[in-house]
Amino acid sequence: MTGFILKRLLWMAITLWAVFTVSFFLMRAVPGGPFDRERRLEPQIAANLLQRYHLDEPLWMQYGRELNNTLHGDLGHSLRLADFSVNEIVRQGFPISASLGVVALVFAMSLGVTAGIVSAVRRGTVLDVSLMGVATVGIALPNFVIAGIMIILFVFVWPLFPAAGWGTLRQLILPGFCLGAPYAAYVARLTRTGMLDVLGQDYIRPAYAKGLPTRTVILRHALKAAMLPVVSFLGPAIAGILTGSLVVEQIFAIPGLGMHFIQAATQRDYTLAMGLVLLYTTLLYTMNLLVDISYAYLDPRVKLE
Amino acid sequence: MVWAVWFGRLPPAEFTFTNGDEIKTVDPAIVTGAPEGRIIRALFEGLWAWDPKTLRPVPGVARSWDVSEDKLTYTFHLRHDALWADGSRVTAEDFAWAFRRFLHPATAAEYAYEMWYVVGAERYTTGRVEPGAPVEIELLEKLPNALPFASGIIVRGTLVALQPKKGPGLICAKHPPGRSGKLNLVPFSAREKIHVVEIDGRQRRFQKGATAKETEDYRWLLYDFRSVGIRAIDGRTLEIRLKHPVPYFVNLMGFYPMFPVNRRCVQTHGYPAWTKPAVIVTNGPYRLKFRRIRDRIRLVKSPTYWDRDNVHLKVIDALAVTSYATMLNMYMTGQADWITTVPTEIVPDLLARKQGDFKPAPFLGTYYYLLNTAKPPLGDVRVRRALGLAIDKREIVERITRAGQIPARSLVPAEISNYIDYTPAKCGAYNVEAARRLLAEAGYPGGRGLPKIEILYNTSEAHQAVAELIQSQWKRALGINVRLRNQEWTAYLSSRRQLHYQIARAAWIGDYIDPNTFLDMFVTGGANNQTGWGDSRYDRLVEQAQQEPDTTKRMEYFHRAEQILMDQMPIIPIYFYVTTSMVRPYVKGFYPNIQDVHPLKALRIDRKRKDEGGRQKSDRAACGFAAKSFSPGGHAGTLPSPRGHGKNTLWNSPP
Repeated sequence: MTGFILKRLLWMAITLWAVFTVSFFLMRAVPGGPFDRERRLEPQIAANLLQRYHLDEPLWMQYGRELNNTLHGDLGHSLRLADFSVNEIVRQGFPISASLGVVALVFAMSLGVTAGIVSAVRRGTVLDVSLMGVATVGIALPNFVIAGIMIILFVFVWPLFPAAGWGTLRQLILPGFCLGAPYAAYVARLTRTGMLDVLGQDYIRPAYAKGLPTRTVILRHALKAAMLPVVSFLGPAIAGILTGSLVVEQIFAIPGLGMHFIQAATQRDYTLAMGLVLLYTTLLYTMNLLVDISYAYLDPRVKLE
Repeated sequence: MVWAVWFGRLPPAEFTFTNGDEIKTVDPAIVTGAPEGRIIRALFEGLWAWDPKTLRPVPGVARSWDVSEDKLTYTFHLRHDALWADGSRVTAEDFAWAFRRFLHPATAAEYAYEMWYVVGAERYTTGRVEPGAPVEIELLEKLPNALPFASGIIVRGTLVALQPKKGPGLICAKHPPGRSGKLNLVPFSAREKIHVVEIDGRQRRFQKGATAKETEDYRWLLYDFRSVGIRAIDGRTLEIRLKHPVPYFVNLMGFYPMFPVNRRCVQTHGYPAWTKPAVIVTNGPYRLKFRRIRDRIRLVKSPTYWDRDNVHLKVIDALAVTSYATMLNMYMTGQADWITTVPTEIVPDLLARKQGDFKPAPFLGTYYYLLNTAKPPLGDVRVRRALGLAIDKREIVERITRAGQIPARSLVPAEISNYIDYTPAKCGAYNVEAARRLLAEAGYPGGRGLPKIEILYNTSEAHQAVAELIQSQWKRALGINVRLRNQEWTAYLSSRRQLHYQIARAAWIGDYIDPNTFLDMFVTGGANNQTGWGDSRYDRLVEQAQQEPDTTKRMEYFHRAEQILMDQMPIIPIYFYVTTSMVRPYVKGFYPNIQDVHPLKALRIDRKRKDEGGRQKSDRAACGFAAKSFSPGGHAGTLPSPRGHGKNTLWNSPP
């Protein structure tokens, strides 16, 4: 187990280095730089700017400098949000995106798992068909459509929630729901499939034979095994959900990482974009590792090596 | 979960507005955008300020000014009650130091060229020095009691010679200063150079890194700031000397990059640490209370500001919102009192509102097409004029932009004549007959044989709509087929710079209310010319206008220059922008003006009207808007904004 984790951590370091290198050169290969404006700067002023940010040096020198700084935990200053270091931006943005993500996950899991179990148990009924129908629509509808509908319903027609912004729990519900809805749909479908699979297994029959009520059979014996596909889906999903969603964060004006991510990319904010790419890689890797470990817990047949 | 529901709560602000994308910084010297300008104007105050209605200069830190007979030397007299937030007085030395920092190459101020009217300022920023020039050298060592981020010890002398690193002898021998003009200018950053400087009668040799023998290392070697025309005569008097008359110079002192920063604060904490709310020292009507990145900036009224009795709002929130639809939703639900832009799809609905709170006003900006005169057939002036005459600009503003934009027949917005004594020179009005005739004269009757033409624009629905309409107008009027090509913003900019286009969309926002801000763009080889066009008569007229102390004559020169531009037509003006602010009727002190500048200092809230309005809290009419204005990513529905792109760039101008 320890050996497994250590090996994976080593791979993580190598992956991070590869991601760093590829992103570094890709970002600089794209035309345009962080100081491009419709107005062209006086040549000497432009030179002063590049010099200030060391962008006038040869690429390999910049690469060495950035890599060295990154290894020391210093992601540099954002080129576009010049008052802040990348570390500060992540420190402020990550909890915000994560809070939103937690709310979204609560929606996704509670709605998704419930719908999935109900569908599996009531297989073939109108309830099953309609729940899965809603789930399919939920997967098909993009976030911003759901957001638009939610805003019309719960902001204007029935003014329950504020239109946008950040700071109160009330401001979190609508974006949390919009972010969680597609995930809830996936979770519902996966839970249903997993549940049907497990309910057909041999070990379920003795549970019924012992005279256990259906609820206990489902929740105590079947659910754990049925969650395997959901768990493997959740790993990357959590990484994605925690690092924020561009669309939802923009529509609801939430100052999370998704917002920073897209702005950094379009504004050629090299340092901020790099920091976020590395953060996302780390999260994704960690989540996958956790998923693998949780497999061993959920399914005794899986051995980690 | 506890994490998810825990927030730092803030009491609500008295006034809230949406300020576009997060500002780059609150350091006045290095900002360039309209959102930045709104914040900086609240936090800092320059020598002069702008009247919120007329934009005429009104006293700021200076209470009066004199100008010499030749209009070259300005003397500003500072008021005695202007204070920094730490209680110390704002002095002329503060301004001299702040201007020096603004011009210093290490600051890399993008607007530094706006100060290059000042004697020696350009040489200071560019760092070009030639033998004979007075220089200042910042050494690596600091004075023992210096603040942590103060500059190193500065020594001053006269540059005697420049030596290459390895070559034998001098590039040029020691000779009297007068003859140095013949030498090539050498950028200071050329590290291989050794600078021989005479200091107090002794020659010292300076080289970056001090790799050669008998040299000293240094941090900066620049033109001596003492020879730059900025001087604090005493604590309350500042003298500025200009290279040539600049009629709008006093106005320029109210432009936010010229605002002072606190020397002690900057030198104690360094950039960017000094901009944190906990330590920043400002001198404006408001103070920086709180910042959450890409969320909000909270401003509170400053108790030490000299004109505090005329500052009405106590707490202001500036929200960073990038989606125009979201801005509108916040406005409609009462979360914002002022939004700076609206989604273009619903402009007609907004114009029809009973409240009358959407009133577009003329803006000092022009939307135009660049014609690359280096590419056939656009090298022929008759073709360029034919293309210009065949565009029905009225149709564009009525069918596409729809917010009351004004069809343009000049580069300088016509509205400028309401502010200064200048009437822009016009190109011909829409005239299909004349256009056909010109095209036939050029050898392409009915458009036959005309080489392929392509219009380039940056990816945006609004620009595409304009380009498509022009495409069909040209097809209709001249029988020619043009292709359209769109590129992502930065790629489009680089195509324009390298002249890899035939016709390209462009926009320009004036920095100050004077034709110069538009017309000096098209001098031969100008950085923003980007058309390959040049005309010596035009260059001469612009140059003459810039040197001319007499206002009437000056405007006459500009008018003649613009007439050449409009006759030669390397650009086709299409329409003049309008401002697209929406502000609640209970907000007082908000005046539409040509630069879209609305100092927060002047704003007030009419309590009675607000309370009356408060009863119908949510604006039901908005329901339909929300549905219409969402689109993927939430930003496709943008006005054809002067920044050229929805949101990822700065305005090229003051607000």
